[in-house]
Amino acid sequence: MGLLAKLFKALNSDASPWQLAYGFALGMAMGLTPFLGLHSLILIFSVLFFRVNISSFLIAWTVFSVIAIPASYGFSELGESILLSSNLEPLWTGFYGTFIGQLTQFYHTTTLGSLLVSIILFPFVLLLSKKLIEQYRERFMKWVNQWRIVQILKGSKFFQIYQAIKD
Amino acid sequence: MKSIIRWPGLAAFFVVVGLLTAISILFLDFWIKLAAEKTLGLANHAEVNIESVEHTFSPFSITLNRVQMTDPNAPDTNQLETQSVTAAIDLPPLLLRKLIVDDLKVTGVEFGTLRDSTGDVYEKSEDESVDSENLFVETQGIPSVDEILAKSPLKTTQAIEDVEVAYNKHSDKLQTQYEALPSKEKLENYQKRIKELTETDYKDATKLFAAKKEFDQLKDEIKADKKQLEAFKTSVDEAKADLGPKVSILKEAPNQDYNQLKSLLAGDADAIEDVTTLVFGEKMGEWSQYALAAFEIIGPMLKSSSKADKEATAYQGKWINFDNDAGLPDLLIRKSEISITWQEENINSYWTDITYQHDIIGRATTFVVDSSASKLWNSLKVDGDLWLSDASGTKAQQTWALDGLTLSDLDLVDQDKISGVLKSGIVSSTGSVSLVGDALSGKSLIDLQQLLIDATGNNKITNIIADTLNQLKELTLNTGIAGTFGDLDLSINSDLNQQIGNALISNVSAEQQDKLEELKQKLNSQTTGVLGEGNEQYQQLLDWEKFADGDLSSIDSLLEAKLDSLVDQKKDEAKDKLLNKLFN
Repeated sequence: MGLLAKLFKALNSDASPWQLAYGFALGMAMGLTPFLGLHSLILIFSVLFFRVNISSFLIAWTVFSVIAIPASYGFSELGESILLSSNLEPLWTGFYGTFIGQLTQFYHTTTLGSLLVSIILFPFVLLLSKKLIEQYRERFMKWVNQWRIVQILKGSKFFQIYQAIKD
Repeated sequence: MKSIIRWPGLAAFFVVVGLLTAISILFLDFWIKLAAEKTLGLANHAEVNIESVEHTFSPFSITLNRVQMTDPNAPDTNQLETQSVTAAIDLPPLLLRKLIVDDLKVTGVEFGTLRDSTGDVYEKSEDESVDSENLFVETQGIPSVDEILAKSPLKTTQAIEDVEVAYNKHSDKLQTQYEALPSKEKLENYQKRIKELTETDYKDATKLFAAKKEFDQLKDEIKADKKQLEAFKTSVDEAKADLGPKVSILKEAPNQDYNQLKSLLAGDADAIEDVTTLVFGEKMGEWSQYALAAFEIIGPMLKSSSKADKEATAYQGKWINFDNDAGLPDLLIRKSEISITWQEENINSYWTDITYQHDIIGRATTFVVDSSASKLWNSLKVDGDLWLSDASGTKAQQTWALDGLTLSDLDLVDQDKISGVLKSGIVSSTGSVSLVGDALSGKSLIDLQQLLIDATGNNKITNIIADTLNQLKELTLNTGIAGTFGDLDLSINSDLNQQIGNALISNVSAEQQDKLEELKQKLNSQTTGVLGEGNEQYQQLLDWEKFADGDLSSIDSLLEAKLDSLVDQKKDEAKDKLLNKLFN
């Protein structure tokens, strides 16, 4: 509830759409890939060190973690086909022997498959979420606030939490 | 720049990472305990409990205290229990999911200890045991001679049949060959003709050359006859080689049948054959667990570890290995010392290169036990090696030599009809076992001395067996080891069966003895005629052999006769005459 309130606050605040969009995109990558691995450390570092919206990151992480459950088999298949590609074998063998290569755990089929899908989706999710946030603020924010349901919600405990955070 | 970077975020990052690291270290022992219990449980097919776990970082080592591995066939007991397991682990290979243990020390290993609570069993294997319920059934009344003859397949009958079949097989061919042989008259005629040709004084060269032509023709005929005689001799030898042993068996068969029928009258012959297994089988099986601990426990566990690993990763992605053949295996224990506790004595074993991927390291797992004199034995030596390979299958071998192990108060057999305890004794054993693929094979010699057995039976037959066991002072058991990994099949042979058989026979009653005499007469009447006939047939073969040898000898002497020297002499005389006429 608190997380949703924070997101709602961020959407309605003057936070840059890019900050929110990066949060979504990085959260998508965090949710789709396995938690254990060097990539997770880099993602968390990016979210905390750069001015990325943490609420949108956490929401996207949660949502994409659920999506990753049925998709993990597909990620594994993709990763396996790439890892077993004879053309790439010298590359993987060389990387496998390095310390960084071992830290990345690239030789795990699901890790490599999901990371690759995340990298491909990243710019699309980034641009799409930025566009949607802008569209929301331009067209829907005032209209949504006028909804009867929103009015009711404003009188609810949720809105009180929201107000408390805002203040 | 200022708007992009969030400096407090950097601090937050280190706090988050630090917290995660701290939690990991704080609960490391707990996580290791959970992981070890799960992995070992999968390999053992039954619950595994670890009392506590300790670790050190420099050098990185883990100690598992009191590990209990439930016996899947007896969940109230542990298949194996250890006081502690300490492993010094090489950390960098862990990143590649490879467990490389530089040094492993396992202390206080005990087999078959009682568990605190019944363990969960994930997979159970079947067990077989010998039961005396259907054995040692006393005969109800005395069976008739015909009944016994019908029940027992007679060796004599089979031997008669074998002799007749063998003789019929050869006799037709021999008879035909014999009839085609040159007669005595023909041979005498050859002799006479050769004598005439060689002893005549030829004045005329033309006559000499005509005689030479006739002589050569005669020799060709003799050679053809010799070939026939040689073929006949070969057939006689074949028949003799076939028929001879069969006639000998026939001569022995009535006595063997008589003794067999005597055993049948005395008791259950099949039961007597099982006495050694019944009395010593359970203890042998227990001892074999110690002797073959490496193959029985460690081998299957290593194989299961590899299988369990593959099964677990199938659902959460796969780990692809890019090592070349010179790389590290997934599991390697470079050096290990395992201390087994048995009857308050420690047996130390030293292992090298424990793994299930021997093809990668190119070396076999080796193990050695070399224990000098202790309170329980004079010496104990065990050594062996083990090579597990997916490509060429499993190969392993082990030899052992145990000298003077003191035994006391061992339960041998505890059945309804017979029970026995080995009060005291000394055992020595040597043996070897090898494993190729899943098939185990081997043999051992178990020498039991200074035996003191206390056995009791509860019917006539088992009382006789118990008395025999109680009088036993020494016994040699020849054990055959066969079967597959985890399903050992032991066969035990000794002269105990013979001793018990004799004891039972000496207890045959007067009435039964009369029956035996009747049987003996019946057997003799069945065999005398056949034996006579068989002997006659065999004698004929011997006569034929003699005849063939004699004829061949006389033919050889005929072939030795020569006319060439006479022809040469005549040629020289003619040449001299011609020279005299030309130059004089």
